[in-house]
Parts: sequence; C-alpha cells; structure tokens
Amino acid sequence: MTSMAEYPPVQENIFTSGESPYLLGGYCAACEIYHFPAPEVCSGCLGEVELVSLGGKGTLYSITTIRTKPPLGLPKPYRVGYVDLQQVPLRVFALLDPVEEHNLVIGQTVQLEVARLGLNSENTPCLRPYFIAANT
Amino acid sequence: MVSIIGAGITHFGRHLERTIVSLALEATALALKDTGLAKERIGACYFANTLGPLLFSDTTIGQNLTAAAGLNKISVVNVENACASGSSAFHLARNAILAGDCEIALVVGAEKMCVPDFGLLNSGATELDTQLGMVVPAGFALRAQRHMYEYGTTVEQMAQVTVKSRQHAALNPFAQFRQLESLEQVLSGPVIADPLTRSQCCPIADGAAALILASDEVATHFERSVQVRSSVLASGSFEEPCDLTHWDTDYRTVQLAYEKAGIGPEDLDLVECHDAFTIAEIIHYEALGLCDKGQGGALVESGATTLGGRIPVNVSGGLLSRGHPIAATGVAQIVELVTQLRHEAGKRQVEGCQLALAHCMGGDKAGDTKACTVSVLAR
Repeated sequence: MTSMAEYPPVQENIFTSGESPYLLGGYCAACEIYHFPAPEVCSGCLGEVELVSLGGKGTLYSITTIRTKPPLGLPKPYRVGYVDLQQVPLRVFALLDPVEEHNLVIGQTVQLEVARLGLNSENTPCLRPYFIAANT
Repeated sequence: MVSIIGAGITHFGRHLERTIVSLALEATALALKDTGLAKERIGACYFANTLGPLLFSDTTIGQNLTAAAGLNKISVVNVENACASGSSAFHLARNAILAGDCEIALVVGAEKMCVPDFGLLNSGATELDTQLGMVVPAGFALRAQRHMYEYGTTVEQMAQVTVKSRQHAALNPFAQFRQLESLEQVLSGPVIADPLTRSQCCPIADGAAALILASDEVATHFERSVQVRSSVLASGSFEEPCDLTHWDTDYRTVQLAYEKAGIGPEDLDLVECHDAFTIAEIIHYEALGLCDKGQGGALVESGATTLGGRIPVNVSGGLLSRGHPIAATGVAQIVELVTQLRHEAGKRQVEGCQLALAHCMGGDKAGDTKACTVSVLAR
C-alpha cells in the first residue's frame, strides 16, 4: 500500500493527516473568533490569526449527493454537506464518505478522515478531508 | 426619480453563430427603437457580462458594443457581479442619472455560454469550497434538504415551481423552454443533486437584454415610461454559522427596497425573482414577505404565484424556463416588468399591473450570496 505521505494535501494548512485527523483553522485571540479555512488576517480586526485545531468531530447539518459529471476527479456520485463542528462554533462545507452509500442523515455525528481522493488543481492525485459516520 | 423609457430583449437559447457583441447590438437596437430617440442622446453605457473573460479571453466588452453601435466618446462602465451583473449595471446607471452625471443611459446585459463542455459553474477555482467539490447545484440542493428537514417542504412542492414556470414560458416567445411539464415529468427526470432533478435547475443560454433610462425631465416626454421607485444593491453578511434555509442578504435587500419605495409586499402586482433552482424561488417568496417563513412550498402549491393568482411570480418563465444567460438575466427581469407595467405582455399579461418588483442574486460564498439587487418599478 502506498503511504499517504506521498500525496500532497488539496490545500496547505486545512487538515492534519495523522492517526486521528482534525481540521485546522485560524483563531483570533483579540476577536475571540474562529475561521475556516485560516485566513491571512482576521476579517474582524485585520490582525493576525493563529493556526489551531478545530477538532475532527461534528454533527451533519445538511447533505446531498451530486449525480452529474463530477469535477476534480471526484467519484460519481459523490456526497457533500455542511458539518457543525463540536469543538468550535463553526459550520463548515465538507466532502462526505465517498464509499458507504446510505449511512448518513441530518443530525448524525460524524468524524474526519483523510485519504487520497480526486485530483488537485495541477491534475495530480491528492489528499482530501471528508467526514464519515462516527464510531460511537 | 429615474424612469425607464426603452426596453429590448433577444430570444434566449442556443445562438451558436452569434457573438456577445452581436447579441448585445440586437437588444440595444430594439431598446433604442422602442424610445424613438436618436442614439446621440445617450450619455453613458453600463455593460454587464460575466463569462467573456473566462470562455473567450475577451475583456472590456462594453466598448466593443458602443463602438459597433457608433456610441462613441460617452462614459462606458463594464460590470461583473455574478448572476446579478445585469441588475447591478441597471443600479449604477440609475445612480449616474440621479447624480446628474448624464440624462440618458443605456444598460445592457449580454452573455454567450453555450459552448462545448461548459460543465457546471462553481464559486471560483481558488476557493476551498470549490476544491472540496462545491458546484452551484449542490449549494442549492443542500438548502433544499435543510428546508425540507426544518419546514416539511416536499419534493412535489419544489417540482410545482417548474410546472408553473413552464406554464408561464409557454406564453412567452422569448423563453427557451416552452413545452409544458407535468409534476410527474419533473420528478422523474435525472437527478442532478438530491433532491433536485434536471428541470428544477435553470438552463444555460445565450442572450442579451437592454434598457434605456432617463431623468424625469426627459421621461415626461415618454407616455410609456416606467418609474424606478427604488433600487438596492447589497453584498453578503457571511456570518457564522450560515443558515441554509434563507439568505440573510435576501431579507435585508428586500426590506430596504420596500422602505425606499414606501410600499410592502401586499402592494405588489407582480414579482420576477431569481429562480435559479426551484428551492430558491420558494426561499425568495419568504424573504419577499409573500408568505411566512417556511411556507414557500405551500404558497406555490396554492396557485397564488401562478398567472391569475394573488401575486404572480416569474410570469416570463423566470430563469428556469426563459434560461439564464448570466449577465443578461438581471436586465431581462426588468424588461419583463416594463412590458407588464405597459400592459403589452399579450397572453401572459398580469391584469391591472401597476407595481412590480425585480429580485436578482449572484455568487455563492460561505453559505451566503455575493450580490443581491431589488428594484421596485411603477407605472
């Protein structure tokens, strides 16, 4: 099996790809707000943000399956949704489990995974984060 | 106040042999002919196009139009604001006249997008959402799912928006899809993004629309002129967390347009709104105050928004059936209102139409919209 380390992330500073992956975002201590993805500056005060963990768990807010020709080498069909993160007050857009077809509904607890999925803007295979049904 | 004294529109659909400028010229000539004015009277041109730079590497196309039409030396502004480009150009032209910058202004929205392998629109290649698979139909499907979850909106209610749209378009010679579709036909079509089937998503199209705006002094000489009672342009709130059952920006823009016009939703005879997808029309009903929040599905089901109903919406066929040549749409909506307010809409005429509203929305970002325009017009 090829190691994940051989593939680049779809975008830098979005997620970690270790044992229990989590999302990365920006935190502004002055405004006490979180941002995802981490912006160059805080949109509240235009000051610096700190790169922090946003956790890897959340609750599914909405979900759809896209059945037309997929972009970026994603599977057909593929699923996306919005997830309310548990650790911070953010609702983020995300890819959802590309393998299991019928296991996700609104309100469900989900957890982050990272794997090789689709192509990046240079048309090469890359790592993408996506949420799957949580174990617990 | 500013008035509209001329309107022109091309057929919307596939025009493979035409260029952006050719479509724009046709609409401009029709609008000029409608006024009977000499073209030398036009003092400014606000030109909207969105995809020319991307699809044809063409930029600053407004001056290509004005040069081709012999409208030289005037001020020309090129406008891009996603799906609200045309209505933003209208807003700017109206402001220029109010400011006394010119007396008569030309507004044109033109788009050519029927090209091989066009694919799906997205929020911009560098946005993280796009890199994670966000395409425009997915954003609206996620809204539909959440609206169904919170308010019990049904797939039949959403499909009814398309059924109504096709009924209206059958009466509009400028529309792209004029064949009636039954509820069963809409629901049995191929699914684009659950639960939206193909005919619940607006089609791409080529087309152009044009308006000629004038100051009060000039407009008094035109019997068929239509007054712009208010015009508002706003950008998104982008607040966290986004609420997919509505656009905050939608409510803010509509409210301000009502206030500035001194009217409320109960005063309206007709609405053209941004029905890019069926669920969008349902959510816009709620923002426009045509019904309570969560009741948009029931409103379309009741027939209230069909021609002959309490408040007809998208009698032109809207984006769903007229087609959506991006930058032309916002101008085309206003052309339809002008036609209706002049009582020149033939079989799709709304009886006694005196006060009408155009609503347009463009660009997705962070679960909100980039641009929203609302204009209130009166005869």
